[in-house]
Amino acid sequence: MWTKVLSYIPDWKTFMQAGLVLLIPLIINFGYNKISSLVSNKNNPAKKTTAGDTTAPEEPLSGEYERDLEFLKKTIGTSSDVHFREFQITGLNVRACLVFVDGMQTVDFLNTHVMQVLMREADPQLREQGRALNTPEFTAHLKEKILPLIDITEVTEKLELTQSILKGFTALLLDGMPHALLVGLPNGKTRAIAEPTSEALLRGSRIGFTEVLSENTAMLRMQGKSENLEMKKYVVGSLLKKNLVIAYFKDIVNPELLHEVEDRITKIDIDFIAESGYVEQLIEDNPLSPFQQVQNTERPDRVINALLEGRVAILVEGTPFALIVPVTFSMLLQSPEDYFERWMPGSLLRTLRFFASFLALMAPALYISFISFHPGLIPTELAITIIEARQGVPFPSLIEVLILEISIEILREAGLRLPKPIGPAMGIVGGLIIGEAAVQAGIVSPFLVIVVAVTAISSFSIPMYSAGIALRVLRFVGMLFAATLGMFGTILFFLLICSHISKLKSFGVPYITPFSPFRLQDFKDLFVRAPLTLMKRRPEMMKTGNRRRRS
Amino acid sequence: MFLRKDDKITTTQAAIFLTDTVLGAGILTLPRSVLEAAETPDVWLSVLLGGAIILLLMLVMVKLSQRFPGKTVYEYSRSIVGTIPGAFLCLLLILYFIIVGGFEIRVLAEVAMLYLLEGTPIWAILIPFIWTGAYLACGGINSIARVFQIVFPISLFFLILSYAMSIRVFEPNHLRPLLGGGVMPVIQGLKSTILVFTGCEVIMVLIAHMQHPERAVKAVFAGIGIPIMLYLFTIVMVIGGMSVDAVLRSTWPTIDLLRSFEVTGLFFERLEFPFLVIWMMQMFCNFTSFYFSASLGVSQIFRIRFGPVLFALMPVIFISAMIPKRINDVFQLGGAIGYIGIFFFALLPALLSAIYWIRKKGLRQDV
Repeated sequence: MWTKVLSYIPDWKTFMQAGLVLLIPLIINFGYNKISSLVSNKNNPAKKTTAGDTTAPEEPLSGEYERDLEFLKKTIGTSSDVHFREFQITGLNVRACLVFVDGMQTVDFLNTHVMQVLMREADPQLREQGRALNTPEFTAHLKEKILPLIDITEVTEKLELTQSILKGFTALLLDGMPHALLVGLPNGKTRAIAEPTSEALLRGSRIGFTEVLSENTAMLRMQGKSENLEMKKYVVGSLLKKNLVIAYFKDIVNPELLHEVEDRITKIDIDFIAESGYVEQLIEDNPLSPFQQVQNTERPDRVINALLEGRVAILVEGTPFALIVPVTFSMLLQSPEDYFERWMPGSLLRTLRFFASFLALMAPALYISFISFHPGLIPTELAITIIEARQGVPFPSLIEVLILEISIEILREAGLRLPKPIGPAMGIVGGLIIGEAAVQAGIVSPFLVIVVAVTAISSFSIPMYSAGIALRVLRFVGMLFAATLGMFGTILFFLLICSHISKLKSFGVPYITPFSPFRLQDFKDLFVRAPLTLMKRRPEMMKTGNRRRRS
Repeated sequence: MFLRKDDKITTTQAAIFLTDTVLGAGILTLPRSVLEAAETPDVWLSVLLGGAIILLLMLVMVKLSQRFPGKTVYEYSRSIVGTIPGAFLCLLLILYFIIVGGFEIRVLAEVAMLYLLEGTPIWAILIPFIWTGAYLACGGINSIARVFQIVFPISLFFLILSYAMSIRVFEPNHLRPLLGGGVMPVIQGLKSTILVFTGCEVIMVLIAHMQHPERAVKAVFAGIGIPIMLYLFTIVMVIGGMSVDAVLRSTWPTIDLLRSFEVTGLFFERLEFPFLVIWMMQMFCNFTSFYFSASLGVSQIFRIRFGPVLFALMPVIFISAMIPKRINDVFQLGGAIGYIGIFFFALLPALLSAIYWIRKKGLRQDV
């Protein structure tokens, strides 16, 4: 009996392999842990709260005209774009100075409403009050009776004054008055509201966010009146400060989610937020995942719809891209048009996009595994056609696919950077001519050109550009899997992705809800966009406060 | 609760978990193994009967587990029979899970080598599969249940589609006469049909992770009912499509059935290929479930963290899959697993329940 047992003990090769089974994952795991501990956001919240508020001790203005002006000239006057316009209020015989940054206010407005008023029209009135320049009554008089402006603010702190001027306010200093007045609102040149270029729609509003935060929040307000739409302002960036606004419906959003978002935003620790992408990368759950965990959009209607579902929007100054959290995989395949069109076309497009994203991810991998490993499994006639077309192609299918895939990625990247008039020409040269020539030269098979073209077009049909990138990256991984293990490798690749996204969470919401955790309620807005009359409840996954959309 | 910290699964997830654990290699091996045990077309009755028996046994397991809310069998067996015997019993259970897991992936590798990857060394198939399973299992029971939830509807759809398509070669005469050999062959077939339900012991682990353990009975009925129906379908379609003699001569009867007819007008001529793809995904779920249960057991008995155990079990499972030397050994192992399985199905829960019951009675008299 022992000999029988012994005969079943595997040989040393198997044990070597078993060792490898253990060793390689250990190394990978070690590497992964190392990288993720490097990458992960190790912001210390305690440190931030103390460092964030008190930047410098508050120092009041002296109240003496010469000294304050000297201070301003010393601190910000060295910049060539800060202008000092000194003049005299003739009636009072008092010296005054306007301080502003070039290009950030309307000069006409300052001429007519400040200079003209102070130098000429206000004379008689001022003379009456002239004796007590440093009293609050004089300031009140100036505000109420003389200057025809909506917005006048008094500033007494030095730091506040310099920062306001740099922000674009115009400051008015008067000899004898203990504080400065901000008389002109910043009015830097901004872009006009335009159609969002990255998310074009056939049907739907043509309005897109701009770079100005106040305009963006106003656009959200303009979507409809509600006292429950709440916005909170945060200041981010340690060196260059920027405003950041989070918006939500206070009766809908789950308070825990809101708290989590606020928490992560206050933990942001970086010198400058150049674009909302910085915020996205600093607050996301898993920086090592190829999938985006925050949605970005230029469309106010998209933001409002997300807010109504109980999500939270983050708007950052200086970028037209707002962020929406939390995001699920299905959201990346949705377009506002699905809701604007009637439900049947909307549903059809939805399903189509799911199919397209599957193709964009898997088509080349499937091609490789069929051609290189299992030609016998496709219908015989088709197999013969493909193999005939491939005759004379000197490369294995992986190299063949890689040649075309990489060149099409280069084409796409190049087409993006080119000036608009050249872009299409480039597409024709690159796509048509190179493709055709490559086939005729016998480097690739015509069937592959079809596969690659279908893949590329499918990836364009994904409404979110950044979601498309993730699939583009993963497609290459899939090709490698297919090239090593054929269909088996493709299955493993698919299972790996499933495993990965089922572990992934965006702000506590599992990435593949509603597939799993299975929420039947939310399936009405997944493959099928159910008629609006049936969409009675907000998404279950968001655990909203106010559940019903229709009464 | 928005941000969940607890690792609990819903009742649906538990049911699907159970289904995916039970539904594995049996789809391919059941028809032949059951016909070898009893050469009669009535074996589909054995599947029903076997399923009913399993269901009863599982109710015992559920009732036992429900008395220890939040605890797996690895934890509560200790408090029933004492630390050392409890640990011993649980080690047996873990060993069983490891052997079954190894068996399942060995079957997978054999099928893959035969139909998809001729000439590929077996380790090249086993190792990536184990790694993928480990990647999933390290996410905890919630991630596993989620992947199962994705795979399950797909595999259910394709299984039913494949069987529905094979209706064209279905010959009712192959299933006749009903009870031609009397009831005895049905009983004989039983020993082989019970074997395909190996894996349902995971319910003793699963209940501890359920959000609503009180609904476990529901989950069991769904989680065993679906495999019973699918196995029944498999047996009926395979025997009906191929006849008893043909099944006995074939290594993988279910695949041979699907190879025996062509579907025109679709992209695939034969359904065997999509069936294999889906079956492999199903096997992945099946394997991960055993792998997870075994790792959890080791980690709970020896009080080690879950992660290192997961890594440590990788080579063990690999070796256990490599032990059978040729495919006949694999089938023999499958048979042996069945017999060991009966012990775990019937004896372990019954034993534990009995001891628990006696101790409780004894305790009451003391008080």
